[in-house]
Parts: sequence; C-alpha cells; structure tokens
Amino acid sequence: MADIWKDYDVEAGQSPIEFMSGRRHVWIQQRNEETWIADRLEDKPPASTGGSAELDEAISWSRWAHKSGSNRLSIRPVFPDLPIVISSEYPLTISSGTRIQIFSRIPVWVRIAFADSSYILKEIPSIELSKTWFGTPLEGELCYWSPTKARRSLDKVESMPYLVNCPIWITNKAAEDLHFEKFCFRVERLGIHRSDNQLWAGETRIVYHGEDANSDISMTGKLPSGLDEGELLSRPRNPIQTSLAVRTFKKLFDDTFISAR
Amino acid sequence: MDSTSVSDLGLENFVSEEFWMLAIRVAIILALGFPILFMLRGWARSFFTKRYATHYGMLAGKIVFYTGLTILVVMVMGQLGLSLAPLLGAAGILGVALGFASQTSVSNIISGLFLIAEQPFKVDDIITVGNTTGIVMSIDMLSAKLRTFDNQFVRIPNETLIKTEVVNLTRFPIRRFDALVSVAYKEELGKVREVLMEVAEKNEYTLAEPEPQVIFNAFGASSIDLQLRVWGQSDEYLLLKNSIYEEVKKHLDEADIEIPFPHVSLYSGEATGAIPIEITKDNQQYAEDKSDLEE
Repeated sequence: MADIWKDYDVEAGQSPIEFMSGRRHVWIQQRNEETWIADRLEDKPPASTGGSAELDEAISWSRWAHKSGSNRLSIRPVFPDLPIVISSEYPLTISSGTRIQIFSRIPVWVRIAFADSSYILKEIPSIELSKTWFGTPLEGELCYWSPTKARRSLDKVESMPYLVNCPIWITNKAAEDLHFEKFCFRVERLGIHRSDNQLWAGETRIVYHGEDANSDISMTGKLPSGLDEGELLSRPRNPIQTSLAVRTFKKLFDDTFISAR
Repeated sequence: MDSTSVSDLGLENFVSEEFWMLAIRVAIILALGFPILFMLRGWARSFFTKRYATHYGMLAGKIVFYTGLTILVVMVMGQLGLSLAPLLGAAGILGVALGFASQTSVSNIISGLFLIAEQPFKVDDIITVGNTTGIVMSIDMLSAKLRTFDNQFVRIPNETLIKTEVVNLTRFPIRRFDALVSVAYKEELGKVREVLMEVAEKNEYTLAEPEPQVIFNAFGASSIDLQLRVWGQSDEYLLLKNSIYEEVKKHLDEADIEIPFPHVSLYSGEATGAIPIEITKDNQQYAEDKSDLEE
C-alpha cells in the first residue's frame, strides 16, 4: 500500500504528482512559477492509494503564486474542520460507574502545504461527508455525520489508509444509565500519528455527568497501550490541552413529528 | 482711488477683545470636541460590534454620539452665557405643542425603544414584514432600514414593526424546507418514498439530522400529494430549495414515476361505460354537403 503522507518535490515541466486518498483523486504540478492543484471525487473507492486516472481537460485547477518559490510540498492527513457525530454500531447502555473503550474510524482530509513555511495551500476531504445538526432547533452546532460506526474493537474492520483510528474512553459518572446511540466527537483537538502502518489519534476521555449536565472531555495525546508513539504526522487544529465541558450525548430534537404543517 | 484696509474700518471699535476670546474658546471646544466625539463613536461601535453584534455596535455608537453632542451644545451655550433653565422651560411648553403635532414620530420613537428591548431582530438578520423581505441594515430612532434582495432600500416605521407580524428568517441556525411532490395514483407509494429519501440523503445541503421525512399530504384532484421535509442551514436555504426540486424531478424521471398534470375524466352518466356516439349522416352525404358549401 503506497504511503502518500510525505513531502513531494514538484518540479516544473514534469508530469503532475498524482495520488488518491479515499475517493479523492489529487493532482499537483508546478507551472509558470505557480503551484497548480486539481482534485476530483471518483465514483468508486480505490483498491489502493496509488490509483491512476485520466486527467481530462474539464478538470478545474486552483493556482498559487507564493513568494518562497519553494517546490517542496508536504501532504499530511488532518481531521475534518467540524466535529463529527458518530453513531454506535448497536445501541449500547452504559450503567452508572462503568468505563468502556470504543474505537471510531474517521475519514481524514488531505492538507497540502509548503514544506518549509507550513503555508497551507488547500485542504481536501478524502470522501464527502454529509452535514448534520447536533443540538436543539434553537441552538447547537453544525457537525459532519460519520459514515463509520463506533465499535468496541477494530479487529473485524478492515483498515483503510484514509481512515484514522480514534480510541475513546467513556466513563459514566451519572447516577442514571447512559443510553449511548450517538455522540458528538470534537476532533479539533486531536493530532494524527502514524503507528504500525496505520493512522492513529491520541486517546479521548469523555466523562458523562448526566442528561442535563455537560460532559467533560480531555485529549491525552497518547496512543493506546501496546502501540509505540509512532510519527506525529499532523498537530491538532486547536491544540488546547485543558479539558472542556460540552454537551456530547444529549440530542434534543423531538419536535420533528409534532408539527402537522 | 483710495484703498481701505480692515484696520482703517476700526473693527476694534465694534468687536471687543472679550468677544474674540469667547469666539476662540468656542472654536477650541468645537475643534477638539467633534474629533473626540467621532473617535469615541468609532471606538464604541467597533468595541460592541466585536464583542457582541453589529446591532449593539450601531446602537452604542449612536448613544455615544448623541450624548456627546448634547454635552458639546451645553458647553458652548455655557460659554455664550446662555442659561439652560429658560431654554428647558421653553422646551417644555414647545414639547407639549410639538407632542400633539408629532404623535406619529413620538409613537415611532417609543416603538423603537420597545424594539431595542424586545429584539425581534438584529442588524444583518433577514426579515419579512408584509410583502417585503430583506436584510436589516439599521434600526434607528424612527424606523428600520431594509435592503431587499433586488437591491431596493425599504424604510419601515418602528410603529409598523411593533403592530404587524415580523418573520425573522435567520433567527435560528437551521430551517426546514417542505418540498411538495405530487405523483400519479398508479404509483406505488413505498417506491416513491424510497426515491425521495434517497434524494434527501444525497443532497449536499440537507442535514442528516433532523432526519428527512416523507409525509402523506392528500388525495389530490389528479395526484397523490406528498411532502418531502428536509432540514438545512438557514443561510443555505435557497440552495437547498433549488437543488431539492431539481433532484426530485431527476430521480422521479429515472425511476419512471409519473409526476401528473391536472386532467379531467368525462363520463356520460355511467362511470365505467363508454360515451355513446350517434352517427347522423353517412360519409357520402357528408362529402356532398361539404362540396356544396365550398361551391
């Protein structure tokens, strides 16, 4: 399986650099002292990352003229720019005082930046994610809807190079049971590591305090035990270490069936 | 011809030194006061806009400006030796007279205060008042100003805004769009529902949650009427509306589901029987009659 997460030297006059991440086909080339980037969403997911496809005339290029004039570009995986709502494989009830670990696989975005200046040229989603609303009709936040499910184990799921494995600990400190069907996963504080030839995020710890209270969320930045630290491919979008308290589990959108008109 | 200079006129005989000093003091007050006032207004506007919203920024700017202007006027009057007491007394009497004459304006001012307190909308919100829909540009003492989407300026008196129904289209971050879809009676509703849900799932502006719904509306005159209810972001509402209708048409066509047009069935007394036809002339007689007419 070809590794696309590395630095590339893009020279003028050469044929475009080409790679695939998920269903996204990307071409990069140097022309007229500018960096040109094009991408296309393919109909079918590729068998491997090193796919090859026709670069037709109709494709539209984005162009950058940059003062550094550098030809070295870094291609790195990053988390999407909005939180992700993840649903459980099956509805799960977590009793009071219980702590469980689940895993989720999130499709990455491809970040194309100059290797020497970290100037970001473009970020492209590997696959199109549909958007969803987490909250009430009055307030809430826009999120992406994850196409993958949260699971207790990753053993039976095939690893894909454009999916990052996210280990999540959930602790129920409320007096009542936590009926876990879906939750809002705030990925902005997670970096991406490469370990054991897969993409991994640091552990997230969510402590549930009850239906009407916010959950405490902290990102440890450490990979699960049994894995080495690996190589840090990308830092978090929002690298804040302190824990945050936000609504994570509750979904209050129950007037959809009430209104007749 | 003799030339006459200013000094020859003997201005010092008409204008005293005291007057010059007074004029200079007033000029200094105005020269310093107005730039400071504009600076304070700009600061208040940007501070409250950044910290809260554009609406509060504009409001704070106006409060600072008019308060400062009042202080400047009072200071200038003080320099000119004009007492405020008789002026306020006169203003009281004048106020009563003006009050009767300008009831509408006063009503608008008071309505404006209610609008500020109640906040049914803010600057930059999109509202509908009567038949007018537009973006709120400002909420002032007497009126609110809107810019419609075809770029017209509309001034709506505050009193009207208090009295009539105002719909704020951007108050909440998400909105539901109900697409009306009609299909022929012969179509299988399960299949139609499946196609419509697929449209909703694949549309880029539709939110996955709240979940899209297909609601049975009515047995119409020529069709079964359904509603496809989808949610999207308020600022993408038009894109959602356009794309949903286009995709519904495309997918229904692909699935060979008929979108009927209004049609009327004629019956002659008996619903299932054919309409009886009576032939009153044979073909030969008809041809002869026709040729007679042509001659």
